[in-house]
Amino acid sequence: MNKKLELADIQGNVLRAYGRFGYPAARYVCLNVKNEIRGRDFIAAVTERVTTAIDWSTEDGKKLKPNWTANIAFSYQGLRKLGLPRASLVEFSPEFSQGMKARKDILGDQGPSAPENWDPVWERNGKDFESNVHILITLNGLMPAPVTEDANGMQEAREASLEHREQAYEWLLEVVKEHDDGVAVLGGHCGANGEKFDYQDADVLFEDGMPTAKEHFGYHDGISDPVIEGVPYDEGRVEGRGKLLEGGKWAPLATGEFLFGHIDEAHEYPPAPRPILLSRNGTYMVFRKLHENVGTFNAFLSEHGKKYPGGEELLAAKFVGRWKDGTPLVLAPNEEKRKAFQDKLKEASLEEQERMLSDFSYEDDMSGAKCPFSAHMRRINPRGSLEQVAGEVPGSMIRSMKGENEGAFDTPGALANRRRIMRRGLPYGTVSDRTSDKGNHGIVIMMLNANINREFEFVQQQWINYGNDFKAANDKEILLGNHNIDGKSPSKAVIQVDPESDDVPYIVSDIPLLVETRGGDYFFVPSMTALRLIARGVIDPT
Amino acid sequence: MSNVAGKAYAMNVITPVRWYTAWLNKLYFWAAVKFPSTLSGLVTLSLIHYARWTIIGRKSFPHLDHRQPKETLKYSYMLFFSNFNGSWEQYVDSFTFAIPSGLDLFWKWNVRYSKSVPLTPFHDYIQYNQIETPHYYNAYPLASSNDVKSAANVRATLLAFERAASQDESDEAFQKRYHGLLRALQHDLGEMHPTPIVTMAANQVEKRTQWQSRVFEAPNAQS
Repeated sequence: MNKKLELADIQGNVLRAYGRFGYPAARYVCLNVKNEIRGRDFIAAVTERVTTAIDWSTEDGKKLKPNWTANIAFSYQGLRKLGLPRASLVEFSPEFSQGMKARKDILGDQGPSAPENWDPVWERNGKDFESNVHILITLNGLMPAPVTEDANGMQEAREASLEHREQAYEWLLEVVKEHDDGVAVLGGHCGANGEKFDYQDADVLFEDGMPTAKEHFGYHDGISDPVIEGVPYDEGRVEGRGKLLEGGKWAPLATGEFLFGHIDEAHEYPPAPRPILLSRNGTYMVFRKLHENVGTFNAFLSEHGKKYPGGEELLAAKFVGRWKDGTPLVLAPNEEKRKAFQDKLKEASLEEQERMLSDFSYEDDMSGAKCPFSAHMRRINPRGSLEQVAGEVPGSMIRSMKGENEGAFDTPGALANRRRIMRRGLPYGTVSDRTSDKGNHGIVIMMLNANINREFEFVQQQWINYGNDFKAANDKEILLGNHNIDGKSPSKAVIQVDPESDDVPYIVSDIPLLVETRGGDYFFVPSMTALRLIARGVIDPT
Repeated sequence: MSNVAGKAYAMNVITPVRWYTAWLNKLYFWAAVKFPSTLSGLVTLSLIHYARWTIIGRKSFPHLDHRQPKETLKYSYMLFFSNFNGSWEQYVDSFTFAIPSGLDLFWKWNVRYSKSVPLTPFHDYIQYNQIETPHYYNAYPLASSNDVKSAANVRATLLAFERAASQDESDEAFQKRYHGLLRALQHDLGEMHPTPIVTMAANQVEKRTQWQSRVFEAPNAQS
């Protein structure tokens, strides 16, 4: 990897999932710009404190790790309000300028997920000038290394991370107060009992006092995030996270898939607004608040778990492609192998663990016997498996072959490499009653990509809410699919088996809506350079 | 209708070829048909119903009536015609991601062909030379080509299953055979429903045409 990115120019949340770097507590704040000039003054003040992507992994870098991080992003309306010239504005993509609400029919945000059911801050967004979400500020609090290894030490460290988050928020409120003729915080984020907050919190879930990587359904989350060229702290994480090459090797994805101003997988600079200083090292961010229907999920899983020959835990794994502890089904398709995998994992170094959890392809599972075609993981990142055709054994799929060892496509990842998304998410809320859907808990997910339409929207529409690329007609992805949005048409999925075995494929029928959209929008995350230009009001595409 | 009907999209692209290099294209087409493995990438792209390339010589354009003015064409033309599932972008992008070298071979001698990678000039080239399809009929708007293939497979497999049945087959033997049937069809059991919205533009066209038909029907309803 020879390419080196300008880390001090890129916002930190673009290259880092903060949760993985010791920041378990996040707060998201939406703001409206009331006055262009004072709004720009506010941007200038915030920019002073914005966290960049500089390397923390070196001895020097560790000292630079802040107690809290701050990052900023703008909606299209926000950029407009801040006075970006028309010539620049028209060069943003149509879906970004429309915003997430207007794209609801593409995204499948209908029924309970429809914008009229979103949290007030998102529901009101776009209805009048004062309610427009113009700016999104994301804050994260650092959890220091626990002084003692026990629960008490962990509790103290956790409290410190919450304290850091509060410090970040106090700083932000102070800056807002100094510019209250320019910007206003927008309230209306729903809490657990319907109360409304001026911010949305999201927190790593703790179990027995220890932090976990789990979300509310109980799955380990956020394991296979894409790795791109030029990020020094990702160099050892390419296997399973980059792009699959012929012969099972992996290479980092082209930077331009996620960052403007860099060459992408199609050997060109991704389309982006001019001037280049406005777009270079920036990207689009898709922000979504997703409620998880925990009660419905548990009832649904237990009902099918009784009927499914492999039992409830294996069925839960089949929904996702990983066991709840994160073990990939492709590498450990049964309980015995799962245990062996976990034993090995516990012995391994951190770096080795990262590799073990992600380094696999579907080469030995083309028929879906281990990881079903409608499983979450296979749908959102099919790796090289879309180069598939029906095999000779009835019910089998094989990789299409041109010559002996050569694929039909120029590269096995041809249909997947340009559909990748960087995910930055944390759970929000707590679940007090695991038999109920009530309350406010789920995942706040931020997805980064250089082309919302080609990357996020495509995956959401074609792979999550539709199944043609997976030879599954209209069958949806099991966890995130917008099942039964009209209340009349619950969907189903097929759990495939080894076509040469005597096993029977299991049909998961009557899948209810498990995850609901509660808000979100499309944002632009500018580089540090662009932030300064926006703040000074000197953007000139000539 | 736009270029879209149900789950299908119709695309016509007509591009100029110098008449004295047109034979090279014909040679490639001949070779591709002769050695089908060269087309395995295309066949593997299951969103394609079919794709056809043909050369129309500069003197072969139809002259239907003596009143039609005679024209002297400078170029021969390559007609590319395809029906596929999904959006224009999904199709064009799948082509360039999966078989860029194959595309370049077919279009290589076309005037001002940009090559398939990088993508944006290729998009522009196809878009500039595409003839829109304002009228497009689809007998099975709910079905993608995969759905049709699956349905044909389900039917054939079920009929064979029925033919193999006999009065003296034991319950156990029947169950074993039935399980085999389910296994054989495990990639063909997807449910068919209307297409997801192909693009916002196509969706607006769809809404508009529905709206028009309502308006045109209204006077009759009143009378």
